[in-house]
Amino acid sequence: MCSRSSPMSSESPETDRALVARIESRDTDALALLYDRHSARLLGLAQRILGDTGEAEEILQEVFLYVWRAAATFDSSRGPVLAWLLVATRSRAIDRLRSRRPSVRAGGRGQNAALDPASGEDVEADAASREWEARCREAIGQLPQDQRRALELAYFEGLTHQEIAEATSSPLGTVKTRVRLGLMKLRESVRSYRKSEGHGA
Amino acid sequence: MAHNERFEELAALQALGMPLGGEAPDFARHLDEGCPVCEELLADFRLAATTLSVEAPPRRPRPELRGRILASLPGPAAAPAVRPAPVPRTAWWLAAAAAILFVFILWDDARVRRQREELRSQTAQLSGELARAQAETARRDLRVRVLESDDVKVLYLGGKDPQPGARAKVFWSEKAKTGVILAGNLAPLPPGKQYELWVFAEGKPVAAGVFDADSSGRALFESKNLPGLASAQNFAVTIEPRGGVPQPTGPVVLVGTPAA
Repeated sequence: MCSRSSPMSSESPETDRALVARIESRDTDALALLYDRHSARLLGLAQRILGDTGEAEEILQEVFLYVWRAAATFDSSRGPVLAWLLVATRSRAIDRLRSRRPSVRAGGRGQNAALDPASGEDVEADAASREWEARCREAIGQLPQDQRRALELAYFEGLTHQEIAEATSSPLGTVKTRVRLGLMKLRESVRSYRKSEGHGA
Repeated sequence: MAHNERFEELAALQALGMPLGGEAPDFARHLDEGCPVCEELLADFRLAATTLSVEAPPRRPRPELRGRILASLPGPAAAPAVRPAPVPRTAWWLAAAAAILFVFILWDDARVRRQREELRSQTAQLSGELARAQAETARRDLRVRVLESDDVKVLYLGGKDPQPGARAKVFWSEKAKTGVILAGNLAPLPPGKQYELWVFAEGKPVAAGVFDADSSGRALFESKNLPGLASAQNFAVTIEPRGGVPQPTGPVVLVGTPAA
């Protein structure tokens, strides 16, 4: 996570946005700073999705090359920089995961021990970041188990709603509803947190 | 198509990147028709989904990855290939047009230079005429303010060694408290020197101001608010350091011969 402040706070997006603006003007130092700030979380996400160290690092490289090329397309009204990076990382990782199916299926990917897990101090240097993560965990923890499971299968495993229905032995309509209700609840948590941080709803 | 819960479900699936299958065209059409609710939901759901990322433990990248990524960044546009591309026919026309334009610019530049020299010459000529006109105005002003005063007095000054050929007339008016010297045949002085006019009153020289001669050796200098004019007995001009001195130190080049 951002090592200086919450990714959903008013400070972090500004700071990260300033880096993105510098990257837009071809400032490699800014990209290095953004990398130092967020690479551990992005790599953790790619690693969780792909379960392979090499591929996760390739995704990380692709994402920062994308940031270098597409910094001008970043739209701060659609969320903070970290969210932009997470979406870019996840979508690339999911694409790669889907491209190698069915050889690797959900649940068949173990955690790769070759990478050192980053400590909390490495990636969350201030209380705001820890608070944001705690709020996220709390919001996820409050989800009904079936909604949480459906979202995790979609987010980390890249399963379609049909595949989730098969994996959970649930009707297709039910899976859709679970996904919608789960995201609605996470959305409310994000909104209330951003509101408390001064972003409004 | 009016907004309904089904579209919200499709928005949730799309936000997670899940294929919509046969429902994709419906949802695309719904968005195209403009549904602010679904547009907002899509953006919010995408942001909300990122909260799930906290379940993935952060992983510290290998140190060398950072350098590899930074080294792989595309730099500025590469230089053209070693082998030049063939020049299209239109490029030859452009080159010919550029050459013609270049020749025209050279010719026009020479023409402008000539005009500039002519203007400079005319300016110098006009400046000379202006200076002469100003001098004439000054003389006319002199007549009005001094020479035509009913108490005007005149004294002729003659040259002394080292400028025996110098000549001058001094006009002064006690009412106007002004004295004017009109001199000729003055020698040019070094930059650090000036001519200084003196009024001799009660046998003592009083500084009346410094002046320069023009390139033809002439000078017209007006000394205003001049003290001691009522008791002025004589006038003289000396060569002094530029800016003048309170008491004469240099050689006398002009001196009056008061009437007996």
